[in-house]
Amino acid sequence: MEVDLSKITLRPFKLEDADDFLLFAGDDQVTNYLRWQTLSSKQEALDHIKDVCIPHPWRRSICIDNCSIGFISIFPFSGEEDRFKANIGFGVAAKYWGHGIATKAVKMAVPQFFVDFPDVVRLEAFIDAQNLGSQRVVEKTGFQKEGMLRKYAYMKGKLRDMFIYTFLSTDLPANP
Amino acid sequence: MDPSRISLRQFHLPDVDDFLKWASDEKVTRYLRWNTITSREEALSYLQKVAIPQTYRRSICLDDRSIGYVSIKPGSGNDKSRARLGYAVSAEYWGQGIATATLNMAVANAFTEFQGLVRVEALVEVENVGSQRVLEKVGFLK
Repeated sequence: MEVDLSKITLRPFKLEDADDFLLFAGDDQVTNYLRWQTLSSKQEALDHIKDVCIPHPWRRSICIDNCSIGFISIFPFSGEEDRFKANIGFGVAAKYWGHGIATKAVKMAVPQFFVDFPDVVRLEAFIDAQNLGSQRVVEKTGFQKEGMLRKYAYMKGKLRDMFIYTFLSTDLPANP
Repeated sequence: MDPSRISLRQFHLPDVDDFLKWASDEKVTRYLRWNTITSREEALSYLQKVAIPQTYRRSICLDDRSIGYVSIKPGSGNDKSRARLGYAVSAEYWGQGIATATLNMAVANAFTEFQGLVRVEALVEVENVGSQRVLEKVGFLK
């Protein structure tokens, strides 16, 4: 399958995305390293879009020809002391892996996010030590690996080692 | 320094004057999140509202008098396996291995006290070389 990366776009989720959403959010391969449980019905997909995706401060559908094939989610922390930080997560439908789609989407998302949230200075990605695919995505998009966090968090019942990668607003290339 | 003079125990209100002595010292509170305490009333209030109720906050004592504190705070819910360490010692007693000795005790205590605790973290400012050395001696991994 050839993928024309110029056809990748980001936009907010809509209820109409439910079937496409279920295709990736209902796939264990995609949700393996995510906190959310694999979805198992169109109703769950509709509920997730309505209750989570749409109210989210910054969640975008990764689209090909306006069809949802994945997501990027950037969540600013709350509270006076933590507003300068945000957490990024993403996922792409398994059949589209290996074409640089997630990398392209993250490259598009990061500068836009810093424009939308000018108080945020630091984007953090916590990536499972075994999740090599996502590590490559963030490395290719210019995130810096700050370290390995041993037995950092429970994910789906197991204590996981995670790498912390970060992108600072000052890491953005200067405007030409 | 005779190590048997050092102990860890809960804070009590009668510690207020000793607490105020080091908690009002900017050198001691410089890298802490809490503000330097500036009056006996503030000190009493802090002991009552923060130090005493916290599950793991201990006074570092020399001959049973407070010269510092250690705090170990686990997260809630899914994050109970992880705790945050904080501590400080009165400037008068720096350089004698007191922090190192007490942190060794405190970290061991915390793993017993908090079921499911697996990871203790300390966030140390880049300039705070003193604390970095202490943590390395206690066996923390950077």
